[in-house]
Amino acid sequence: MSEFLKILENEVQIIALAFMGTVYFIRLFWMFRFKASNEFTPPVGNPRLGIAYSMMNVAMPWAMESVRRNWSFYLQFVIFHIGVVAAISATFIIPYWPQIFEIEWVVSLFQILLAAAFVVGIIRLIRRISKPALRIISTPDDYFSLILLTAFFASGIFAVPNKYEISEWPLIIFFAMTTFFLIYVPFSKISHYLYYPFTRYFLGKVMGHRGVFPRKRGGEKPAGLKN
Amino acid sequence: MSAKTINIEDILNLPLDTKEQKKALMEQASCVREGRLKVYNLDNDNVKKLLELLREKLNRSVVGSMAACVHCGMCAEVCHYSLARPHDPTMVPAYKGEQIRRIFKRHFDWTGRIFPWWVHATSPQNDEDLNRLKNIVFGTCTACRRCTLNCPMGVDTAILVRLTRGLLTELGIVPEGVFVVSKDQWETGNQMGVSTEEYLETLEWMSEEVAEELGDPNFKIPIDKPDCDFMYTINPREVKYDPRSIGQAAKIFYLAGESWTMPSFGWDMTNFGLFSGDDKLGAFVAKNLYEAAKKLRVKRIVISECGHGYRSTRWEGYNWAKYQQDIPSESVLVTLIRYISEGRIKVDSSRNSLPVTYHDSCNLARSGDITEEPRWILQRVCKDFREMYPNRADNFCCTGGGGALSMVEYKALRMEVAKIKAEQLKATGAKIVCTSCHNCVDGLTDLIKYYKLDMQVAQIIELVANALVFPEKKVS
Repeated sequence: MSEFLKILENEVQIIALAFMGTVYFIRLFWMFRFKASNEFTPPVGNPRLGIAYSMMNVAMPWAMESVRRNWSFYLQFVIFHIGVVAAISATFIIPYWPQIFEIEWVVSLFQILLAAAFVVGIIRLIRRISKPALRIISTPDDYFSLILLTAFFASGIFAVPNKYEISEWPLIIFFAMTTFFLIYVPFSKISHYLYYPFTRYFLGKVMGHRGVFPRKRGGEKPAGLKN
Repeated sequence: MSAKTINIEDILNLPLDTKEQKKALMEQASCVREGRLKVYNLDNDNVKKLLELLREKLNRSVVGSMAACVHCGMCAEVCHYSLARPHDPTMVPAYKGEQIRRIFKRHFDWTGRIFPWWVHATSPQNDEDLNRLKNIVFGTCTACRRCTLNCPMGVDTAILVRLTRGLLTELGIVPEGVFVVSKDQWETGNQMGVSTEEYLETLEWMSEEVAEELGDPNFKIPIDKPDCDFMYTINPREVKYDPRSIGQAAKIFYLAGESWTMPSFGWDMTNFGLFSGDDKLGAFVAKNLYEAAKKLRVKRIVISECGHGYRSTRWEGYNWAKYQQDIPSESVLVTLIRYISEGRIKVDSSRNSLPVTYHDSCNLARSGDITEEPRWILQRVCKDFREMYPNRADNFCCTGGGGALSMVEYKALRMEVAKIKAEQLKATGAKIVCTSCHNCVDGLTDLIKYYKLDMQVAQIIELVANALVFPEKKVS
């Protein structure tokens, strides 16, 4: 392995990761500088249960009509985010536990996951471009982040075999993209996962306080019912 | 089912009408004179003021909703505006939320401040931009929160819309109806400008009617009676347009042997502050009611049938007024359940024989968890109760929510998007759509008329009163 790739996989990644962590910390500090809202009523429901329900929402596709009506979108969401987890995992496995990628089926599994996520990335991009409802709310950051991630998945497919002795280019591209990601992500929409726990917490707390969360089912028409 | 498709630009470019504001200035309305209700001033730097107000009003949950939207567009799948106008991308809830989010990004977010074009961060340039913003947040959203509960990220677009409305209200850049109703509520303590005399006369009239019906000449609606079990608070629409509902409630309370009263002031449980985004008005109205209950030393506050009134009085009002809740409050539906389950009133479901369906008010279901109570009652007072789908927290808005009924300039759009609700109503095959909200009564009545549905609207208290079995009079 060349010295360049070695530094790129290790020192550069650590510096970029430290940068991202610092920016995230500042982001959180920034968010907590804003005042909190207070409740002046005793709870009817259980705010903690509401928060837990709200946080788990992502794993309960049946809880939201928007997802119930559009299962394929949820499936895409799951595949896409599993791809993200796989790609991020690969950035740690390659430099620190390379023996894992010596197991052939693990490499194949990662490649399948990344390829599936790549396909979903393309579908999402087409959807974003073709639907006027999405175009109107999409920013250059939305398009760029999606293209970047999709390309990242593609580069991951070639990087996970970790065959630097054959060619270092797939690894150089993969880790160069990772570095860019670590620096860019805190300033882009991709940082939404940082906010997710907070927005879900705030909503869950209020809705749990009032007993709205956990939600009761009953919205959909039971199969076979005529009216 | 078809409706006239309107050109959205006609709505978004509606000019700011300030006739009522000028009239209020001429008349020296005290709330305007004292600066509690703002009027539009062309000479002010309204954009600068809006940004200052935004800075003041931001809190963590609002910032979360500003920062977390990923523009996935799932909200478009559930909003009745979007569903009824699929060709119109400006109906997407995220687009409506984006109007304030862009301003937030431009002034508070790093990326938006440095590379505004990259995240579409913008700042309004002039009052025309603010007027367009007004038309979006007041005219194209009923703040029903359907998108909120269906957002994977937990973004509360309805709260962003309310926040924006509140900023514009502080600048007097509001629809005429919003200004008029706010003024009435500031001036008289109730949003329909009902005078104390008119209110007391209506109660007197209802007392006479109920006394006659009950055959008890001594019956009177108790006013300002201290130390009762509860204080009953109502919607001014009941005084103005539907006093029967006061009589029906009074009759039920009488038969249940209840110790209750109504206050002579602080009786309006509705709160236009929820719709206009004016927390100060919200606090003022709510505090009037809480103080009235305290003064009368009642054990609880009972809130008559009204979605936003319930949400405001039961929950938001305490927060706006920073008033620690010391007296419990409940929806009249809970009171009715108590009466029926304890056998304090008897009901006969055969008295309501027509098929009845129930429309969940957004504020009751999505912001108040009142979903099972109305069903419990309706199953006992109606012969043929049938569900509407979707229902409970998934129900569609009556299309008159968020103060939409007071903004006549947007009625054409409201009626067009009511197609979704009309189809939902029609599919039930019911002859009566029952709701527990005065606002919904008017919203539903409008769309039933517009779409020529063979249906009537009723409130739960009306159906309960109709099903009442009067106790046999003892023969001495």
